[in-house]
Amino acid sequence: MAETPVTAWRRAVIWALLLLGAATVAGCASDAELDTFAPQGPIARELHSRGVLPVFWIAAVVFVGITIAMVWLIWKNRVRTYDGDDDWPAQTHGHVPLEVGWTVGFFVTMTAVAGIMLWSLPTVDATEDNTMTVSVDDRSVSWAPTVVVVGNQWWWEFRYYFSDQVDLADLRAHGDAKTLPPADIVTSGQMVIPTGEEVELILTSRDVIHSFWIPALNGKRDAVPNRFSPWKIEASDPGVYFGQCTEFCGLSHSRMRMQTVALTPADFQAWVDRTSADAAEPTAADALAGMEVFAGICTSCHVVEGLNDDVFESADQASGAAPNLTHFAERSTFAGGILDTYNADGSLNRPDLEAWLRDPGAVKANYTVPGEQYRGMPDLDLSEQQIDDLVAYLSGLGAKPAGWIIEATQVD
Amino acid sequence: MAITEHTPLEIGPGDTARYAQRPLGVFTRPQEGRGWRDWLSTVDHKRIGILYGASAMFFFLVGGVEALLIRLQLAAPEGSVLSADVYNQVYTMHGVTMVFLFIMPLAAAFANYFIPLQIGARDVAFPRLNALSFWIWLSGAIFLNTSWIVGGGGADCGWFCYSTNSGVAFSPSHGVDFYAIGLQILGIASLVSSVNLIVTCLNMRAPGMTLMRMPVMTWMLLITQFLLLFALPVITVALFLLMFDRLFDAQFFNPDAGADPLLWQHLFWIFGHPEVYIIILPAFGVVSEVIPTFSRKPLFGYEFMVFSGIAIGFMGWGVWAHHMFVSGIGPISVAAFSLSTMFIAVPTGVKVLNWLATMWGGKLKFTVAMKFAVATVAMFTIGGLSGVTHSVAPADTQQTDTYYIVAHFHYVIFGGGVLGLFAGMYFWWPKIWGHFLNERLGNWHFWVMLVGFNLTFGPMHILGLQGMSRRIDTYARGYGFEFWNMAATVGSLLIAVAVLIFIWNVVKSKRDAPHLPPPGPDPWDGRTLEWSIPSPVPTHNFDTVPQVHSRDDWWHTKYAEDDDGRVVRVATVEEAAQTGEATGVHLPSPSFWPLAVAVGLPLIGYGLIFNLWLALIGALLTIASLYSWALEPVDDPDAAHDHHEEDHQEAQEADNDGDEQ
Repeated sequence: MAETPVTAWRRAVIWALLLLGAATVAGCASDAELDTFAPQGPIARELHSRGVLPVFWIAAVVFVGITIAMVWLIWKNRVRTYDGDDDWPAQTHGHVPLEVGWTVGFFVTMTAVAGIMLWSLPTVDATEDNTMTVSVDDRSVSWAPTVVVVGNQWWWEFRYYFSDQVDLADLRAHGDAKTLPPADIVTSGQMVIPTGEEVELILTSRDVIHSFWIPALNGKRDAVPNRFSPWKIEASDPGVYFGQCTEFCGLSHSRMRMQTVALTPADFQAWVDRTSADAAEPTAADALAGMEVFAGICTSCHVVEGLNDDVFESADQASGAAPNLTHFAERSTFAGGILDTYNADGSLNRPDLEAWLRDPGAVKANYTVPGEQYRGMPDLDLSEQQIDDLVAYLSGLGAKPAGWIIEATQVD
Repeated sequence: MAITEHTPLEIGPGDTARYAQRPLGVFTRPQEGRGWRDWLSTVDHKRIGILYGASAMFFFLVGGVEALLIRLQLAAPEGSVLSADVYNQVYTMHGVTMVFLFIMPLAAAFANYFIPLQIGARDVAFPRLNALSFWIWLSGAIFLNTSWIVGGGGADCGWFCYSTNSGVAFSPSHGVDFYAIGLQILGIASLVSSVNLIVTCLNMRAPGMTLMRMPVMTWMLLITQFLLLFALPVITVALFLLMFDRLFDAQFFNPDAGADPLLWQHLFWIFGHPEVYIIILPAFGVVSEVIPTFSRKPLFGYEFMVFSGIAIGFMGWGVWAHHMFVSGIGPISVAAFSLSTMFIAVPTGVKVLNWLATMWGGKLKFTVAMKFAVATVAMFTIGGLSGVTHSVAPADTQQTDTYYIVAHFHYVIFGGGVLGLFAGMYFWWPKIWGHFLNERLGNWHFWVMLVGFNLTFGPMHILGLQGMSRRIDTYARGYGFEFWNMAATVGSLLIAVAVLIFIWNVVKSKRDAPHLPPPGPDPWDGRTLEWSIPSPVPTHNFDTVPQVHSRDDWWHTKYAEDDDGRVVRVATVEEAAQTGEATGVHLPSPSFWPLAVAVGLPLIGYGLIFNLWLALIGALLTIASLYSWALEPVDDPDAAHDHHEEDHQEAQEADNDGDEQ
């Protein structure tokens, strides 16, 4: 039977819609490290189930209702042409009860949405008084898990204060993010947290506004210069959780990423033991040579505890800081969370590390005009020998992380 | 003042002697004519509307090319079409161009052209001020874009330009200087225009046209003007402070000097959120005219439509901090702004249902204008509902600054605003130009644009929920962003094709016009006063200012309802429409001074950035022009008061030519 053009057209539309649906499913099902619909901790899960999903359902119902009404109206009332002067429908000008009705209807709907908001607001704002015992420098301290998170162009710094010498509730007393008190552990790019503990974050910035976001563990909050904003995350299981700076922060905003590595409390303690210590002096000849290069060039911005922390004042950067590299090799990413330190098989990712040292601006756009404050790592004009030595030195700063961390860091 | 008299103002030959002294100034008073130079001195609201519209469409192409560059860069991971630096400039200028140089002036085009026609006036209240608005806007638009050439690139701080990233230390090129000064210039234009149009709506309505008989489009445009009037001073203050920070080392936004780093955000969004309604309300107005016309029914619930528009206008001031839910403003503020944001959805939802109720039981004829209007309602509904999903502040902490938001506001601004204004173009094109836009090409334009639009911005919902950040110049492989980004880029190319079809339609329709029957005054069986006068509209608009008896007065002139509620024709268009042949209508005289005032402003801008002496020259030009303008009589005593006396006018023009030599 020959199809009329109309049914052929309809079939085409139906096929197109089916294809679109299939493509949507295929597109969503792919492995997305930043997926907001895949919460991995109690805060994010509650935020998702209380805040996100209910309002999505309400919006979906309203959308389907209005769409059906519209399609039905179009299908039922459409005409090709007007049949002269008499072809007029009933001239209704309005219907006050009906209009009051849907005004009230929308009001009630939005009141329900308001209820959802008020119900889910404590999810992101209330804090727990949880503490855990951490031993630092052979001392056992009761630690309310808290990390001071500092945004910089274009990398994150994470500072851990285990002793109660520093009142974290009143960091303002110390000035701003550029004058923070010395911390027990200073790391960057990767924040390490214990599983099963709510970790309070104190967010601030040394230059422009950034935003800290680990979608699997919670929503985001801005890191604002001269402010200390509270936030929190919690991971149920050990894992590597990905994040991205989400407030536009200038030139290399897109290359400002971070990960949160959640470890079991025992592994976390082991990490604290390793990273609260100063860097060990290298023994190999090339690493020693690398340390010489580092001490001559890199220390104008970077700190390695045990090498230059006692003499370091401020980095030649708009933020006044560059990543602390004391335990560089402990982190499975570098350069602001964008490059893998190790290959999947656990070997050092030498090509990326060398490329970064050779010409950082080619990997991550920077601003290095002589006479003005640098933003981003400048091109240091290193020789290949210097690069090799630096790689030997850096790869010896700290222990290689566990194999599963390296594996989980690989995005492809 | 223009014409408020109900009968033409007569000035006898003897009276002109009182005005006979020449104005102080270098220009011979221009006469209304048809050459290109007359466009520079025109004060006719219709010509100014066309100037606004044509310039806006030009900048639509500029902003569109910027959009295509963005999409090409993001089509695949690790894109290398643009460097990070250039990408940041392009996405910033895309936003600034589309908001300030395309959709606002396009809405201004509709406001200028149709407010006087819809309220039965011969011009706006202050015709020369109207010309000033346009020329200042154009000079600001050109100034802003010259930063590509002389400023070391466009602004690179996003259209929102948050401090502290907008400071010299973090944005050392002159792009942000051009942004700060350019937007101030554009702001003057919008401010002047808003005062003008508010006075026009309030004072110049034809006799009998009470406020509650005003066409809904005029109502929405009036509300828009009030929003502009109150919103622009706020952003102007913010831009002024930014300018002082950057050019004169002030410390308004420097946290190291004790500034509140969120001050800029508050100032920007107190302007920036009403700005959303400034963009969308004119399109709501267009849709409220088009849907009734092609449903053959009056707008359902006129009062609800007007008052929900007013409600949106009021509530629009109390929601700004929903752009700042994650900035750290504290849970009480977050809850308060989250609630106000939710309840602004009520009047908006009422509008959508009232449009549907207008279509209910109607006879829907899907001309291209009607297709665009219905698509506007459908697409805006999607944008509105995605807005509701992130009005829930905690949920917004997952969604803000992701592509979900990009999808949301493009459904509102493109799906609502731009499609709505395209509906208006297809609807009023015959009124403006005296010929239709081709419906067959229009259908192609519509369908390609609708599919392209949804293919571009629909996938961005998914990308955002999958965690793709906004304002990133590239993304890494493996995060699941590849497929939908490619889809969005294909969609953006479809939109580009649709725009090319539209341009071709404009050209072809004009070319074909002589071979087609003219549309006549009332091609769509329209409802409002602009359809009672010839197409194209004569210079004086109305032969006699109409006496208005009801809402949709022109429809009631043509039709009545019998005792059974059936519609019967009482007059044909030929009987009822005006012929445009009136003579002796007194019209405001053209002037060059608005243009001269406007030319001075960008000179001040360049001067502030590069050399203060240049600013002095610009300021002198502007001030001298303002004085010359003030001393120039409103009406040229030497000009014809009757523009139909062609002989007289030509004699005057010959006179002018003589003077110029």
